[in-house]
Parts: sequence; C-alpha cells; structure tokens
Amino acid sequence: MYQYNEQDQNLINARVEQYRDQTRRFLAGEIPDEEFRGLRLMNGLYIQRQAPMLRIAVPYGLMNSVQVRKLADITRKYDKNYAHITTRTNVQLNWPKLEEVPDILAELAEVQMHAIQTSGNCLRNTTTDHFAGIVPDEIEDPRPWCEIIRQWTTLHPEFAYLPRKFKIAVTGGPEDRAASQVHDIGLHMVKNAEGEVGFEVLVGGGLGRTPVIGKVIRQFLPKQDLLTYLEAILRVYNLNGRRDNKYKARIKILVNALGTEEFSKLVEAEWEIIRTTELALTEEYIEKIKGFFEPHPYAVDAVDGLAVLENQLADNKEFGAWYERNTREHKVAGYRAVVISLKPHLKPPGDITDVQLDAVADLADTFNFGEIRSTHDQNLVFAHVAAGDLYTLWQSLRDLNLARANIGTLTDMIVCPGFDYCSLANAHTLNVADQINAKFDDLDYLYDIGDIKLNMSGCINACAHHHVAHIGVLGVDKGGEDFYQITLGGSSREDASLGKIIGKSVPQAEVANTIETILQVYVENRHEEERFIETVRRIGVIPFKERVYAPIN
Amino acid sequence: MPLLINRAVAEDSWLLVDEDNLSAHVDEDIVVPYELFAENVDSLMQAKGALGVRINGDQNLDLVLQYLDKLALVAIEFPAFTDGRGFSFARILRRSGFTGQIRAEGDVTRDRLEYMERCGFDAFAIPADRYSADIANAFGEVTVHYQGSADDERPIFRQ
Repeated sequence: MYQYNEQDQNLINARVEQYRDQTRRFLAGEIPDEEFRGLRLMNGLYIQRQAPMLRIAVPYGLMNSVQVRKLADITRKYDKNYAHITTRTNVQLNWPKLEEVPDILAELAEVQMHAIQTSGNCLRNTTTDHFAGIVPDEIEDPRPWCEIIRQWTTLHPEFAYLPRKFKIAVTGGPEDRAASQVHDIGLHMVKNAEGEVGFEVLVGGGLGRTPVIGKVIRQFLPKQDLLTYLEAILRVYNLNGRRDNKYKARIKILVNALGTEEFSKLVEAEWEIIRTTELALTEEYIEKIKGFFEPHPYAVDAVDGLAVLENQLADNKEFGAWYERNTREHKVAGYRAVVISLKPHLKPPGDITDVQLDAVADLADTFNFGEIRSTHDQNLVFAHVAAGDLYTLWQSLRDLNLARANIGTLTDMIVCPGFDYCSLANAHTLNVADQINAKFDDLDYLYDIGDIKLNMSGCINACAHHHVAHIGVLGVDKGGEDFYQITLGGSSREDASLGKIIGKSVPQAEVANTIETILQVYVENRHEEERFIETVRRIGVIPFKERVYAPIN
Repeated sequence: MPLLINRAVAEDSWLLVDEDNLSAHVDEDIVVPYELFAENVDSLMQAKGALGVRINGDQNLDLVLQYLDKLALVAIEFPAFTDGRGFSFARILRRSGFTGQIRAEGDVTRDRLEYMERCGFDAFAIPADRYSADIANAFGEVTVHYQGSADDERPIFRQ
C-alpha cells in the first residue's frame, strides 16, 4: 500500500496544526459559527444529535494493522470503545469532544491517517472495489489511480468551496462493487480497440433527494490525461453548478439541466486548454505510484492448503457455510479473500469495537500481510488468506463475533446510524435493523433467499444508498411517528438501476413483516437459480405491491 | 477596510467608481463594476488612467478576458465565503497571462487566504472586523502542495 514520504507527512502534520489553530480561534470567539462549520466539516467534524461526530478518511478503503491498532486506541482514549464503517469506506467516531479533535488528528498523523475532506462541499475520499488487485477479470488494479486522485484532491486550493460535495469512485474491471454509477464521477478502467488501458468517464450520478444514474461523457480517456480531465470537469462544475439551493447543487442537476452533450462540450473545451499543461501525468509518476501496489509475496506452496481445506469444509458445516458466504475467489491459486462480517445479530450494522479492532489487526498480521480493507457495504476484507489458514482464521473471527456467515444475504444490510445519532435523520434505523435481524435469524432461510441487498436510510439524504438496493427502506416521519417507504429493484452494481416505490409507507412495527411478504412473492415466482433482483426485474413491482397492500380478510 | 498586497498591509491607490461619478474620474486609476464596465467599455479603453474591473461569480468572465491586456486590476467579489467561483476565476485569469493585481473582496477572511493566493490572488480586502495584525500568518500554514499554484504550475510529481 502507499507509504507517505517526507512531503506527505509534512502536509498531514501541517494540516493538524492548521486545524488546531482554527479550533483554538473558534473557541476564542474569533471565527463565527457558520464559518467554523465550513472549516470543521472539511475536516470531517459534524455536530450531531448527542455529540460531535468525526469521520476519519480511509483512502480507497485500505489500511494496515498499525493504523487499525491506532483506531482502536483512539476509540478507547477519546470515544466510547467503538467505531463505525461508512459507505465511503471511512471510519466514524460518534463521541469525540470538539476540543480534543486536534489531538486525535495528531495521533492519526503518526500512522499516516487524517480526516481531510471527509465532509463539506469539497472533493471527498475516493472509493474503489474492495477486491481490487485480486479479481481475475480485472483490467488493471484501480488503487494506484485512486492514490493519484487522492493526492490531487488533497487540499486542492481551487475546489475547496464547491457548490456541493463531490465523490469519485474507480473500478478496475467490468464488475462494479464501488457503486460507481451513482457517484459524481465514476471512472471505469477499460481497454480501447488498440488494446490501450484508460478510463471510461461517467458524470452526474448520485443519490439523495434526486437519485440519478451517471452518464458516460467520454468512452476512453488516456491514462496520462486523468487529472487534466478531472480538473476540467471540476472547473466546469465549480463555475456553473447551482449555489442558490443546496438540494439542486450537485453536479447531477447541472448535467441534467445542460444535457449530457452540452455538459461534455464544456468539459472538452476546458480540457483542450489544459490537456498538455504540467498537470498531465508523467510515466515516471504513474510507475512510482504503481510500485506501492505490487502483489504481496504470496507463498508458492499455498495450494497445498487446498486439500486440508477440503477436509475441514467436509467436517464442519458451520465453517462450510461461512466459507460459502464470506469468502471469494483470489486470482492467485491457494488464496481466498475473506469478508469479515460487521453485521452481527442484533448489533448496529458496521460497528466495530476497540477489542475487535485490535484483534483484527493481529489477525491481519498473521494471515493477511498486515492489510485490512473497509468496504462500501460496511464490512472488512482480508483479501489474501491462504487456503490452509482459513479454518484457523474463521475460529478466531467466530470467537470475536465477526464470522456471521451472512455476506450478501438479507442481514448484510447497509444501514445509516439514523435518528439515534444523526441530526438529519427523520426516523430510526437501528431498531428496525434489529427487527429484521430478529425476524430473519434462520440461516437456512437466508441461504435459500440467497443474494439480496437490503439498504436502509433514516432520511431522504440516502446515506445508506436505499435507492440502489434490491430492497430499499427509507425512514420517514409521519406526524411524529416513524414510517418506512419500501423500494424494489435497485442495484448499485454494473447493472445499476433505481428502485421503484411499491406504495405508501408502512408503520415501523410492520417493516420486517412487509419484507417477509415481499420474499414470499419472490419465492413463489422465482425461476430456478434466479436471484431476487432478477425476479423483480422480470415480473415488475406490481405482484409485490398487490400482496403487500392486499386487503386483510 | 485593511488591504493586503503581496502579504503586506498596503494603501489602496484605486478608486471604485459608480454610475454617477465615473465621468468625473474616468482618467484616474479606477475600478469599474462589471455592469458599468460592460456599458462603457469603448470609452473606458480610451481612458488615461489605469483600469480595473470588479466582477462576481454571476457575471461573465469572458468579457474581462477579452480586454485583459487593457486591465491592471481585476477585483473578484465573494458574496459569501462559501462561494468558490472566484477561485476558478483567478486561476483562469492567471493562466490567460494576466499579470496585474487580482484582488479578493467581500467575505474575505483569514482561513481562505492561502488557497486564494495559490489560485492567483495577490491582494485581499479584509473586512475591518475580521482583520487582525497576525493575519499574514495564514499564508504558508501548509507548504507542501500536491497541485500546481499560480506561481508554480508544477504539481507534486513535477516539483
């Protein structure tokens, strides 16, 4: 993974001191509230319902064990012994003190971490596929490009006061695990007719109040042009995006208002001017960054573990279920990627305790080259576990309550913190997640239902991406009571689509029952091997709607 | 209103004119608001003094770019500190070869000065109630730059 050089470290250290001084001046009354709000948000600090919330950046979801141990330590020292993984693969602390944030940042800087641009109307953390670098059909590892984008976005002087927040996602091949089509910019690594690798560029995707799938504005962008092209898009947006209404300020609104063709014309015209400037990437720089993402020193005898593994799988049904649901193919024979479930029974999805963080760091050192990835789905990944180590790793994870074999199932939900924590939320989410967990506790039933994506947001801002879930749940407030609107048929994958609302919102007590009804319709209608999303697409939402809202006899 | 030029406190030698007093001062060193500039551009090109124009993000920078070689100052107005369009205006002015003064006006306060300077601003009109003697400390708080700046276009990989 990328390692800071002296300049990177100097920048992070200077930024800590800059923010420390800003905090000091705010507390001394020298910076008005509204202005400090802008400054603290650009450093990931929100003021929430009960306490401030600090969002720590995890660039493209990649961490090492030293960093994870530091996070554990910070949750002990400055917070309440747990952290929360977000859909931008960042880490949130829910109880830091505003006055102590500079000290937290100083501790993070010791391990090459920070909270720069994790909120605010600026360029946010770039995300990618949590299986980057290990996927067999990947065109190229997207992470070096994410790092190049990270450097360009960090403290960019021109784009710190954009009309609204701005998110970029990069995928390395045809599969999309980064929800790239609902990002302000989605970059897909592609090969052109000449066999050269570059980027397909999508612009104007997004969720929130107005969910939109991104549009392709360039089929093929040569690699060396990546930053000049991004800068052209950002300049067009910074100058032309709406600033009169925050709900109309995202780039998706601008792209829709101008039309894709007119928007891309503006971008291309700007790009023409800056394409050959100093911002054009050099081969030397690209190679240097790529050098940080060389494959790990995989053991050639790892394949020997496969025979052992086969016996272990045969002997232990529980281990077999975990292997089936929570591990994935690795391009190197004898290795598997392991998804560590942060979706335990009746606990907030995406949360992890200090004890678990420390243990995960140790396990990563033992089994995974010291690497830990955070995922868009609020789980963790050990991407390179030798077959012969899987059983031991599983036992350790099980003892830590981190081995629930539910990845990709109904209970592997993306859930925002909702009304319990968030001051934007209209409705609770965590108790509804518990309700769903309690109802669907039977693993055999979950495995029979198979691959399904359920996301739940506590308000229209859609932090949990409910629009692009197979089953989306949106909390709404109706006369002081929590109700939930259900959408079906969304997807954040390469076949991205927006879910359709099936009808009027249901009361809180009825959410899990409603999901059960929906699943009944699926089970009755599915063809063999047909996944939930495929059935919904084939038969449409009407049969679901009719059953859910059927008059009670 | 305190004025910083190249990080030092300076006297303002320019006069901001309006519709009523433009003709009286037309041959002095004047800053002309955008609308007035657009209406009187032909006569202003004949004026004997140095010429500046004042623009905000809602107005069209292309008109300013068209007369750039006749201008010695462009004042860019920030109606609110959150309005980031002025940063791009300054970048575009500098890359178009403008070497005159680019002045930030309006909601211009300490915590944006460094970014503004990197984008090409060299003058800052600071509201009196937000000015303090140590304000120039804002410059150079972070000296490592991943991106190019107006005074050095090289991003970190070419530095």
